[in-house]
Amino acid sequence: MRYNILIGGSAGQGINKISQIVSEVLSDQGYYTFNYRDYPSLIRGGHNFNVLSISNKQIMSTDSKFNIIIALDNTTKILHKKELEKGGVILTGESFKDLGQNLNIALAGALIKIIGISQEILIRILKKHFNTPEAIEAARLGFSNQENKWELKKLKNKTTILSGSKAVALGAKKSKLDLYIAYPMTPATGVMHELAKIQDKKLMVFQAENEIAVANIGLGSSFAGKRIMIGTSGGGFDLMGEALSLQGISEIPLTVYLASRPGPGTGIPTYTAQEDLNIALYSGHGEFARIVCAPGDTNEAIEKTNELLYLSEKYKALSIILSDKHLAESEYAIKEKTKRILPITIKRSIPRQKTTKASSYEINKFGNSTEDPTISKLNIDRRNKKIDNIQLNLDKLKTTKIYGKKKSKNLIIGWGSTKGAIIDAIEDIDAKFLQVLYLSPFPKEIETELKKANKIVLIENNVTGQLGELIRQKTGIKIKYKILKYDGRPFYCNELNKQIKKILK
Amino acid sequence: MKTKDKLKTNEEITWCPGCPNFMILESFKQTIANLIDTKEYTQKDFAITTDIGCHAKMFDYLNLSGIYGLHGRAIPTGLGITLGDPKLKVITFAGDGAVYSEGISHLIHAFRYNSDMTLILHDNQSFSLTTGQSTPTSQQGYISKASPQGEHNLPLNPIKLALASNATFIARTNARDITHMIEVFTKAIHHKGFSFVEIIQDCLIFNKDANNKDKMMYKIEDNKDYTKAQKLAEEYDYNSKDGKIPLGIIYQTKAKSLQEKWPQLQNG
Repeated sequence: MRYNILIGGSAGQGINKISQIVSEVLSDQGYYTFNYRDYPSLIRGGHNFNVLSISNKQIMSTDSKFNIIIALDNTTKILHKKELEKGGVILTGESFKDLGQNLNIALAGALIKIIGISQEILIRILKKHFNTPEAIEAARLGFSNQENKWELKKLKNKTTILSGSKAVALGAKKSKLDLYIAYPMTPATGVMHELAKIQDKKLMVFQAENEIAVANIGLGSSFAGKRIMIGTSGGGFDLMGEALSLQGISEIPLTVYLASRPGPGTGIPTYTAQEDLNIALYSGHGEFARIVCAPGDTNEAIEKTNELLYLSEKYKALSIILSDKHLAESEYAIKEKTKRILPITIKRSIPRQKTTKASSYEINKFGNSTEDPTISKLNIDRRNKKIDNIQLNLDKLKTTKIYGKKKSKNLIIGWGSTKGAIIDAIEDIDAKFLQVLYLSPFPKEIETELKKANKIVLIENNVTGQLGELIRQKTGIKIKYKILKYDGRPFYCNELNKQIKKILK
Repeated sequence: MKTKDKLKTNEEITWCPGCPNFMILESFKQTIANLIDTKEYTQKDFAITTDIGCHAKMFDYLNLSGIYGLHGRAIPTGLGITLGDPKLKVITFAGDGAVYSEGISHLIHAFRYNSDMTLILHDNQSFSLTTGQSTPTSQQGYISKASPQGEHNLPLNPIKLALASNATFIARTNARDITHMIEVFTKAIHHKGFSFVEIIQDCLIFNKDANNKDKMMYKIEDNKDYTKAQKLAEEYDYNSKDGKIPLGIIYQTKAKSLQEKWPQLQNG
């Protein structure tokens, strides 16, 4: 089963609260949900909507057809009416005109009644958010205003609702992060907010004057012996480029969280894209090793954040957690798989224990500048060899994953947030999905899998197929079939299903 | 071995013969040696960051922990060290080219954050290591290879900028006066918060027109009065051949340091 509910209105009407309360009720009842957030770059007004998808088994994607539309304003009704499934319902706020700011709660109540969950459960969850007589009355009013349409019986699944941002923050917290430094930029800011919320005696979140400062402060504090992470989106990442290069020569451990949005320039700031793989792989002048990993869901966001902090410290390397708006801001209600957290121990020399020097220049054995050709070459060889050592360690970690029909000769390949849509879309298709988690060092399994397949389809949220280019560069294999989406929106599971079928038929 | 000798490295010094940087290096080493000899600090309690430019070679000549950073970024790098280990005494060296041009935003925000660290700024009114282009404190009309028509703009007054940015310690000293430099550096390091020391320095190769300002310089008593500080800041405009250049603690005030503001930084 899969139901998709669109909740739309203008910014400030509280549509996020509806999906939050309803998701929590459904998660409590053992259902899997996925909440996609679509909103323009403004604070009040405009047209915002969430798509809440519900299933009795794991789903991690959004859809373009809806069983229920909840319209807090008329625009929602006008814009989305054509996307309603046959027999679908449109709920409007007309019956609750006098409720003012509690309109969203009444609609949450109405929705709970339609999907067939009891009023008691709704009230119990609602009280965690708004424990006022007015809010509870609004929920009851909404509930009594509708008829049961579905019957969602209680299931035994235990799910945790997390956004990608929350998951990255959780991974950092579990890794005992000391310091997170950032400058606000959508969609990376979520992690900054989450970590700021859970600051304590040890964890500190520092907002610097710009991303250049962020990266240099990051290197300074890491040098002094702290576990640190910095975060930004594409534009800010560009500004960090020179400092990333400083990481390359100084070998001060540095982990960067990079959450993409459509570019170039300011692009479409509150929407999604996978356009920044190339800058993650190549930004910064000079040649130096780096680790790039793109988690595809919230469990992986926790796990890979920890892994990258661990690898950066172990190899004194630059690591980049590559996410995007779709992963960062969508809310996943899936089973939390807790992997063992890799402990991050600082064994390198740090000041106050031992005189420690780090430099942006090529250095001699005392850590002072040198222009000597022999020493320079030795340094460069040693630094660039690091990637081979990292590769060896990666063999123990999951660098790629396989989903779908494991013996199929049809291979779908993708990375990052498209994972959910691809898995959900190939359910009734004879295809195997190869999810690439690590993009640098380049996983060896990719070539093996590509060579086994008859038909290969590349799926990416960008116009050039950046993973496809990387694969060609590393293996010589040119992927013929590509499904590329670059309108700022994520893949819709139903549409992707049709597109894949068309290629594989 | 004398403490001062423990602070030096065996690297060959590559400044031009007679460069005032030699005197700055000696004054700094003597300051640190004094602080170590009086048992206030140990050698490992210090960390330095340097920018990129002639001044920054200091990094190679000092046996102290630190980061030889990027051009314009020695301040955030130093600030990072203070966040990473609040017990370290951080001293950042930078030039007028780096900080007043490329890194100006960091300077303004460093005054706001008031992290407990010291900025020693070598101001010779020239980008010397890149062969003498004009900097934001070069005098109007200065002809360099990049500005054959002469510098069109009036110089920036960093002391006024510091006052406007709520700096808690502003000092000026002279690269030819070792005793004064040691006195000012010591006070700056003792200040709780961000201390800014500008050194008026000659370059023997580039922008020689800006040299020899000693006759304009005079020493002041330590000043804590804001209005007086404004007047002192106005006395020298970095442009004229006459007027007065006050040296000493131009302004000092008490304010919570970054380490005092953040509970996370109080346990080290």
